[in-house]
Amino acid sequence: MQDLTQEDLAKAIGVTRQTILAIEKGKYIPSLDLAFRISRYFKVNIEEVFMYDEIVRTIDID
Amino acid sequence: MKKNIFYLITGVVAFILLAIFWYSVENFTPVIFTIAFVIGVILLYLVYRKVEDFVEDERSARITEKAAMRTLQVFWVCFCAFSILAVMNLLYLPRFSREFWLNRGTETVPPMLMSPKIIGYTQLLLLCLMIFLYVGFRIYYARKFGDWETDEE
Repeated sequence: MQDLTQEDLAKAIGVTRQTILAIEKGKYIPSLDLAFRISRYFKVNIEEVFMYDEIVRTIDID
Repeated sequence: MKKNIFYLITGVVAFILLAIFWYSVENFTPVIFTIAFVIGVILLYLVYRKVEDFVEDERSARITEKAAMRTLQVFWVCFCAFSILAVMNLLYLPRFSREFWLNRGTETVPPMLMSPKIIGYTQLLLLCLMIFLYVGFRIYYARKFGDWETDEE
């Protein structure tokens, strides 16, 4: 997994590289569907990849 | 071709089509606009096929949705406000003179009429401004949702 690039992950789960970058930077909160696709790709539970943050959620709604 | 160039071409085509529309209205030649509209759509379709970086995912769909919603919110207020003004003009409503407000008189003066031509052109201008507003909102939300973020490594 160390050689995995953002581009590879983006292609594997059907999004753009910019979306992966935005998720990493906390600029975009993925949908539940996309979150599950990412966690399934890494073969881990969703909680191991994402955690709920009240403050970030508030920013996204605004 | 980059998708931003496609958006730019779309805006230009829309602007030209609107201009042709009003030209057709003023010259009573609807067939010109009909032909121009078909040509415009075919042209945009051909340009769309040349775009290479068109990957629609949920983030880009969200950016489009947010930008469209905000544009609509601004658009209906501006358009309704102007349309009400235009209707009042067409109904020939008298307005109160400056003396009426200063001296509490009863004098009214005839309304300052806008011609239907000016009303049409102003609506055309409003529509064009909304296109630019949409582009502005798209840039804002694209920036908000990390479109121009760069890798630190």
